[in-house]
Amino acid sequence: MCKSRVIMRFIKYNNPDVASVAPSARLGGRFARTDIENEIDWLFGAALNGIAGSELGGQFPVDLYEDKDNSYVRAELPGVTRDAISVEIVDGSLSIQASRKDKTGEVENTVSFNRLVSIPDDVQADKVSAAYENGILTVTLPRTEKSKPKKISVSVN
Amino acid sequence: MSFFNALIPAFNGASAEGEAIPTRRPQYHVTETDAAYSLTVNLPGVAKEGLEVTDEGGELRITGKRALTLPENAAVLHRESSDAAFELVLTHDNTIDSEKIGAELKDGVLRLTLAKAESAKPRKISIG
Repeated sequence: MCKSRVIMRFIKYNNPDVASVAPSARLGGRFARTDIENEIDWLFGAALNGIAGSELGGQFPVDLYEDKDNSYVRAELPGVTRDAISVEIVDGSLSIQASRKDKTGEVENTVSFNRLVSIPDDVQADKVSAAYENGILTVTLPRTEKSKPKKISVSVN
Repeated sequence: MSFFNALIPAFNGASAEGEAIPTRRPQYHVTETDAAYSLTVNLPGVAKEGLEVTDEGGELRITGKRALTLPENAAVLHRESSDAAFELVLTHDNTIDSEKIGAELKDGVLRLTLAKAESAKPRKISIG
């Protein structure tokens, strides 16, 4: 298995209004959503944003999940060049950019993808890591210590 | 029940073996040269172990099971991807040489080279 580490780049953006924050998928918002609701949202989102047709670039499907230590952003980016994957934290959002070279005979086209995902405020930006395997990019965002749930014991007299 | 099954195939759903599992069609494109067709299929999340390519009776079938795992006790906050396996069935008129199918899976992209059968290759007919 080739699990290569993607070199992280943290470059401050000069132009913050590149692409809108696509679906308002905010990691912080903790709603108990049902699968069917997600499914319907996805269908509409896919139809409107062209997620399903990432053949031509632009949007690509993203999953957000978390466990007790980390938040994760997982993106479907089949066939992109590892060197061309750029993961940055820009003003509290995670920016994912990638490109793929499509070669048809002699003609070579470069298809580029980008997406901005809102992430929680308590992410340790300097400890973010990413891995690319089987066409899936997984970004691990460790949360700061203090935001982890703490057990408080209260003595009752 | 068999009457209903015949009338409304959907009735058959759960009972038919293998058919109950929903699959989806991956993105793909085909290009052609004189010697071969090349087929590129996007299969994000599919590892070598989950991939199956068969060519039988003029039907090229590609199935890819997704090997995505979540860490233990992880809570999903937003989901756009699907766990459904990929399935692509393409029919051809047997003008490809089944023995000479080359396959390469890299970074979630499958590239198949389907060599044309000798009879299907363009021939130059010399006029005497």
